[in-house]
Amino acid sequence: MSLIEELKVKLITILNLTDVTPEEFDENAQLVGGELGIDSIDVLEMVVMVERDYGVTINNKEVGEKVFASLANLAEHIRVNSAQTFS
Amino acid sequence: MKTPPVYISGAGIISSLGTGLSATEKALRHNQSGIRPLSLFGLLQSKPLLVGEVEGGVDDSSLPRTHTLARIAAEEAMQGWKHGIDAVVLGTTTGGILTSETLLRQGCGDRRSYRYHGLHTVAEYIAGHFNCSGPALSVSTACSSGVAAIALAMRLLRSGRARAVLAGGADSLCRLTYFGFHSLQLVDPAGCRPLDINRRGMAVAEGAGMLLLTGDGTGTPLAVLLGAGLSCDAYHAATPHPEGAGAHRAMSMALGDAGLEVEDIDYINLHGTGTADNDLAESKAVHRLFSRPPPLSSIKGATGHSLAAAGAIEAVIAALCISSSLLPANTGLETVDPILGLAPLPTPQPQELQTVLTNSFGFGGNNGSLVVGKKTTAVAAPARQQPQAPLFIHGYSCLSGGGLTEATVESLKQGQSVAGTAKLDLIAQALPPRLIRRLKRLPQMALSLAADARGETAPQENLDSIFLGTGWGALSETYDFLSRLAESDEQFPSPTDFVGSVHNAAAGQLAIRYGATGANITAAGGDYSFEQSLLAAELMLEDAKPPALIVGTDEGHAVFSPLLDPSIDGESSLADGGGAILVSRSEVGAICRIRPAYYGSGSADSAIDELAGALECLRNRQRRCALVLAGIPAAMRVQGEKQLKRFFAASALSAPVVDCRRYIGEFATATAVGVVLGVRLLEDGVVPMALTTLEAMPLDPDRDTILVLSLGSTIAAMELSGS
Repeated sequence: MSLIEELKVKLITILNLTDVTPEEFDENAQLVGGELGIDSIDVLEMVVMVERDYGVTINNKEVGEKVFASLANLAEHIRVNSAQTFS
Repeated sequence: MKTPPVYISGAGIISSLGTGLSATEKALRHNQSGIRPLSLFGLLQSKPLLVGEVEGGVDDSSLPRTHTLARIAAEEAMQGWKHGIDAVVLGTTTGGILTSETLLRQGCGDRRSYRYHGLHTVAEYIAGHFNCSGPALSVSTACSSGVAAIALAMRLLRSGRARAVLAGGADSLCRLTYFGFHSLQLVDPAGCRPLDINRRGMAVAEGAGMLLLTGDGTGTPLAVLLGAGLSCDAYHAATPHPEGAGAHRAMSMALGDAGLEVEDIDYINLHGTGTADNDLAESKAVHRLFSRPPPLSSIKGATGHSLAAAGAIEAVIAALCISSSLLPANTGLETVDPILGLAPLPTPQPQELQTVLTNSFGFGGNNGSLVVGKKTTAVAAPARQQPQAPLFIHGYSCLSGGGLTEATVESLKQGQSVAGTAKLDLIAQALPPRLIRRLKRLPQMALSLAADARGETAPQENLDSIFLGTGWGALSETYDFLSRLAESDEQFPSPTDFVGSVHNAAAGQLAIRYGATGANITAAGGDYSFEQSLLAAELMLEDAKPPALIVGTDEGHAVFSPLLDPSIDGESSLADGGGAILVSRSEVGAICRIRPAYYGSGSADSAIDELAGALECLRNRQRRCALVLAGIPAAMRVQGEKQLKRFFAASALSAPVVDCRRYIGEFATATAVGVVLGVRLLEDGVVPMALTTLEAMPLDPDRDTILVLSLGSTIAAMELSGS
């Protein structure tokens, strides 16, 4: 599974987006404050997941705003900063 | 007519700055900070963060730390007071959880070890310690709890229900709040720097503040309590309203309550936690209210943020500043954030003060402000309107193992048990998925009850205030937070679960859903939480206000409930649910009225006689008590049955009794379902045969009262009667 697809599944689970399927999840759409109703608490929940699962720490608000602008941005940030390699 | 003043006849304080008024005053005069690295409990991973920890050996092996902190402050407040106290009102968010966290990690399954877990045990312990047989009320509105408790105490005094009340707040440091605020990235690694351009958050702290409030000022009062204002942002679970709308409302209400104008305020003690959002929102609220703000500062750079204790600690400090002519500094501040447009006091200043406005805001959008004044200003206070009309019920709902309102009520009317856990999928069906995606059991039940009580079919006016009683709070969120914390070796606590774990999270959700920007009070009074929330509504709800919602709800949690609630005998007897009533002071269109007739300790010798004397249905010969709905928690069965027998003997009553918990199940707010059953019977105009054991009994709305009686460690009575 590509990193983008993997993240879609993870976000649906940790943010409990029960009415969204991975197929419907647009990785380029606005993530925070967009149609999914994702807010600052969700961002922090995603911060924890990114650190736990990919070893990437995000503890700076400015970086966070860029990273969580879209799922594609998040995937790119993980790809660049994680010690893991992705397909 | 002038409103009688409320005197601060005694005050006690313990915080990271020291123990007692004089140590606190000294620390404030020297601009000292008590913020240091955590040492109270060990950490598995990280370096200890900076916190406001109380130093010295305060711990008592038989009691959790919150209880001990509360007692230390209470003893100072009560020093020299030779008369009794009529009530205790205490704000807390942590109760005995620090002790429970340790026990849980040790795998302790001994239920007795958890007996001081509940928030209500703090107020009950303090009441017992000072032989108070009146109400021991527990308020849990996150970081505004201390102010909310003091505001309620003030209403108890003004309404004449009490002459002396011990009120305040207490919280100990614990893993839940330490890691919780850290998971929200709200802890400043460099300490706490309120209003600073480089501020990065708070320092989580602990402590207690207590005020002895009296109506007659016997002795030498420190200061007077002039006004209180409570509001809710109805905006977000954890983030303040960006313009500080709720903060502005709370401050305006406190000034209005005190009968003062903005120019009368000499000093503002800001909430000023040091988080980016709070300080910005609060500064906007201050600017909106004050064209030229008076001297102001936040003392949280000195004390840290002691959560439920903060509002009470700062009320004590407000009184101290007035009595000792001191303006405390904004400790920790280096460079003021220019965007705030404020000029906080860089150093402590000796200055005579007449009035102080003090703020406390918290999760769930809860805001509280108090105005404290010099003794001599007391007589200037104008007359305030006390609510005159009774509380009328305009809607109701309930929830149980037997289903939603109709299913539950119909089963109960047939004398069938509805005990069991409510079906969450049934509840969730009626709620939008996006609304509940982050909400677990308790807030979902509360939202379901609220929607049903309002009978949501057409657009209706917003609610104003919310009063929610919950014995044990959000058990799922608390359990999940602590489990994930332990499983991840303290690395990955859940911010979502932390925000949801506060007792007032459910009431905060209701406020957001219904735009309820008035007072938002969560009472955590154990088995008497619904009774306490009704009492809070009676004290707070004003005559002309839009309807308020009173909710009682508890969740049955497979692990926590049998461990914490002594009335639950293992997982097989788990039950939950709750009830809600929509109330206002207007009789138009009402179903019936509800009167909180009595609330006091169940162990006082005189309790039964006082109870009988307080009941309108016994005092007034035109009325009849047609039915008693009795609630006796299983753990207090023997005591409760004895009380019931004595009550019937003392009152010479012959009405049928329904033993409610046998039908509704064992959960702390089962009374709420009992009240809803009573309302329904009055609406039907008949008590069915299954509940009378004889034959169906018609109810005469002009004469008949249904008495809901809660027994056990507390005795509470609520009278339901036709409008």
